[in-house]
Amino acid sequence: MPVTWPHLGNLEIVLKDLITAAGQPYILPPKNTARTLQLGLRHSPEFACLPLKITIGNFIEALEAGADTLIMAGGIGPCRFGYYAQVQRAILNDLGYDFEMIVLEPPAMGWKLFVDTLKRIAPGKSLWEIAKAIKLAFRKGRAIDAVEREVLKYRAYERKKGATTKAYRAALNVLDEALFEKDAIDEAKEEALGLVYGVEKDVDRPVLKMGIVGEFYLLLEPFVNFDVEEYLGHSGVSIERSVYVSDWISPGNNNIIGGISEEEIKRAAAPYLNHFVGGEGQATVGHTVIYAGHGFDGVMQLFPFTCMPDTIAKSILPRVGRDFDIPILSLVIDEQTGKAGLITRLEAFLDLLWSRRMQREKRLLSV
Amino acid sequence: MRKANTTGIHLGIDVGSVSTNLVALGEDEEVLASVYLRTQGQPIAAVQRGLIELEAQLEDVPLEVGSVGTTGSARYLSGVIVGADIVKNEITAHAVAASFVVPEVRTVLEIGGQDSKVILLKQGVVVDFAMNTVCAAGTGSFLDHQAARLGIPIEDFGSHALKSSSACQIAGRCSVFAESDMIHKQQMGYRVEDIIYGLCQALVRNYLNNLAKGKEIVAPVVFQGGVAANAGMKRSFEDALKTEVIVPKHYHVMGAIGAALLAKDSIGNGETKFKGFGASSIDYRTSSFNCKGCANNCEIVKIEVEGTVLARWGGRCGKWEVQEVEEEAAV
Amino acid sequence: MSITVGIPQALLYYKYYPLWEGFLGGLGLEVVTSPATNRRILTAGVEAADNEICLPVKVFYGHVLSLKEKVDLLFIPRVVSVEEDAYTCPKFLGLPDMIRAVGDMPEVLDPIFNFRLGSRRVSRDVYSFAKRFTKHPAKVWRAWRHGVDEQRRYVAKLESGWTPVEVLSGKAPPEAKGDMTIGVVGHPYNIHDEYVSMNLVKRLRKMGARVVTSDMLPHRVVEAEANRLPKKLFWTYEKEIVGSAFYWMRSGTVDGMIYMLSFACGPDSLIQVLLEQEAKREGAPALMPLVIDEHSGEAGLVTRVEAFVDMLAWRLN
Repeated sequence: MPVTWPHLGNLEIVLKDLITAAGQPYILPPKNTARTLQLGLRHSPEFACLPLKITIGNFIEALEAGADTLIMAGGIGPCRFGYYAQVQRAILNDLGYDFEMIVLEPPAMGWKLFVDTLKRIAPGKSLWEIAKAIKLAFRKGRAIDAVEREVLKYRAYERKKGATTKAYRAALNVLDEALFEKDAIDEAKEEALGLVYGVEKDVDRPVLKMGIVGEFYLLLEPFVNFDVEEYLGHSGVSIERSVYVSDWISPGNNNIIGGISEEEIKRAAAPYLNHFVGGEGQATVGHTVIYAGHGFDGVMQLFPFTCMPDTIAKSILPRVGRDFDIPILSLVIDEQTGKAGLITRLEAFLDLLWSRRMQREKRLLSV
Repeated sequence: MRKANTTGIHLGIDVGSVSTNLVALGEDEEVLASVYLRTQGQPIAAVQRGLIELEAQLEDVPLEVGSVGTTGSARYLSGVIVGADIVKNEITAHAVAASFVVPEVRTVLEIGGQDSKVILLKQGVVVDFAMNTVCAAGTGSFLDHQAARLGIPIEDFGSHALKSSSACQIAGRCSVFAESDMIHKQQMGYRVEDIIYGLCQALVRNYLNNLAKGKEIVAPVVFQGGVAANAGMKRSFEDALKTEVIVPKHYHVMGAIGAALLAKDSIGNGETKFKGFGASSIDYRTSSFNCKGCANNCEIVKIEVEGTVLARWGGRCGKWEVQEVEEEAAV
Repeated sequence: MSITVGIPQALLYYKYYPLWEGFLGGLGLEVVTSPATNRRILTAGVEAADNEICLPVKVFYGHVLSLKEKVDLLFIPRVVSVEEDAYTCPKFLGLPDMIRAVGDMPEVLDPIFNFRLGSRRVSRDVYSFAKRFTKHPAKVWRAWRHGVDEQRRYVAKLESGWTPVEVLSGKAPPEAKGDMTIGVVGHPYNIHDEYVSMNLVKRLRKMGARVVTSDMLPHRVVEAEANRLPKKLFWTYEKEIVGSAFYWMRSGTVDGMIYMLSFACGPDSLIQVLLEQEAKREGAPALMPLVIDEHSGEAGLVTRVEAFVDMLAWRLN
């Protein structure tokens, strides 16, 4: 029974280890391509959000490749994500596929269900073995995220264009190949970080500092965001991002990678959005406030068309922008979004940020 | 900070999917020549034709080309063809041009053939913008189409609108619905000028709703792009914004003017990379192939001159572009 | 002069107006509602709200704007949850903040109603909200009881076949005639906003159909039906949609169903798949989705509805 799951950035590096530890064979869905998107579009409801459409495409392509057990995360709402698996199962059944779907619901829906599901994924393994594997998986996931965070921050300083991306790929490879053991993971992390730090930098180069906020799938899956972070890095932008995969998977850990705790986020958002609204809605507002307060040059919000939580945030962000005098670019992505239009907006946004920066420096000089 | 010793003329080239515009600015940044062409899906041919026409207009000008800049959706492609000193996005180019014509401008409304923008400035600096590329409502192409349907030359569309004493209400939030509503109103016997003026008002409402939402439109307001020729649209903007709307003399080539100004500013004392008006006679060969590197099978576009690859782009991953940079570095 | 508080005639107005009016009135506030949706309200809403947001929320913005000059306070409660284990819609969780972000608004009263935390907690939140208007806990309690009673009467009327508009205006529904029954599935704020739905219910009745809507079924029926799904839905109002449709599909009490949903409605985008699959089963009554947004033209809607009714009539004969 080959197991599969949808793509989400670097998540697969960890899931491969985890499923192997569970004693299961797996088949990765083919890489996200135009075909994945087309399949997803054809079989999804029209105004569902893009993540649902693409993950449907992933499942179809994985089933075609021979997978027969689909693993999907669940949720308790109010964001639609928590109900994706149900709708995907219905759609795939309707298409006539023969498969089993295992939905990993969060412990908030009951610990028993959670434990039973884990045992279905890892039949014959003891709870202790499962817990140990999950702990290791988090260790590796955080190592990957720690590397990614550095890449986002320092790509803008590289002397040779593309060097950081190259080092990043090599670093991910090191982590991918590391044995699923504590020491091996720690060693691989050091080596991977070393590769990224080793990229030759021009530390005197002026760069812009931008915060990226929004819906997690759009932020974490480069296929849907047109690799916007790499583009920004090459355009001289140092990036802080609101969400990382391991932070997103373990909401209780207070965002070890991102570095801003849930409490801080809520407090920052409160004057503008004083309640959670599901998904990343409140975090989008909270992070924007925090970035604005830390002198960032600008903030970019990315989310899929019809996403409820981030649409709420988008309605509120202009007020944050006015209060803190910080430019915010909200980009709503759907299947019709083209890279050219996106790049034009980004170029113009960067021009805007640079000219503000220059004006500010001029003012400082004239004082 | 413009360098005082820049000499020669400065070219700006704006290549969009619908129109291709070229201008030549003199040393005092006056427009010496301008060309407005249809792109017709062939940006290279349009740029080459434009260069020929521009050169002909400049026959009596004794100056050399000091710099050249490109903008518009085909800015990188045209930049390669002409040897641009600067390649800039059209939002910045339009803002620069507008603030050159009206230095204290606060709002730029731009409606071109295929897209529309709003740009807000403060003290000559862009502080906010929005751009619409998906929705056709209100763009030049849509107005052309409606003019043809009503049997009125597009040049007269605006003057018809000015004749109207009471605009009729048209649902303008989407071009498809606007069209069906217009047909309906026509069948009910409304006067053509009232329908046209109603359409202009609907398109302006649509534009303000889609693009200018939550943005404070402050005067002076400059209206540019091909659609600015339409006096009905200008009047409708003035009605809706309750302020005077300035249409600059060279409203239809403002993007190109911006590109030329940016080029002049960037060149300083440097040498231009301009390949000369002769670029128009070079046989550029564009071809495409599908990259087999991954399942994306991206279509990669390639421009060659006599077997030398000038540029390549189109891949999702940027692999082809990056390779070229590395090749350059190796030289 | 008493303090005026505005309740926009949109969204959850159609669900809870009697409760709110009874409660706020009991606290000594003068309740002012906005007029029924009209073109000016819709246009103002579309202009003020974010482009990507769904039509009913845009309509809500329009109602708020029509009230803002006329009232001292705006009542926009944060209705997080109305039962255990379920939410309303994310947009209701953020509604007061979204309205504040418009700027230049009267003070927004946004008491929290969150029954996920238990009814004890709700009572506490109600009390802490009300104490700025009275120092007497008994008065708060009486006002709340008054609202709850009004609400109970309202729901009973709905279940007897009145539409919200009919109950709130005190006009009895016309005598049911015709031998065709159509179930109208969807959110009350779409179906019963006569401007938004382009008089769907009246139109169907005029064509000779009896009409039942999702909010006319008792909650326990709807709940039981909706729970046939493999995973319990976490949106209460979607449960009402699914539950009513499932009920009518099984009970055979309707000849056809119209599912009115607004473009870009998040929860409905998923629910629609489940409903349409269920409707494909042998013997289930026909289900026609009717998607509305601010671009919808009346002509298009009328054509679709007429064709649907004609087809049902033809099949019945």
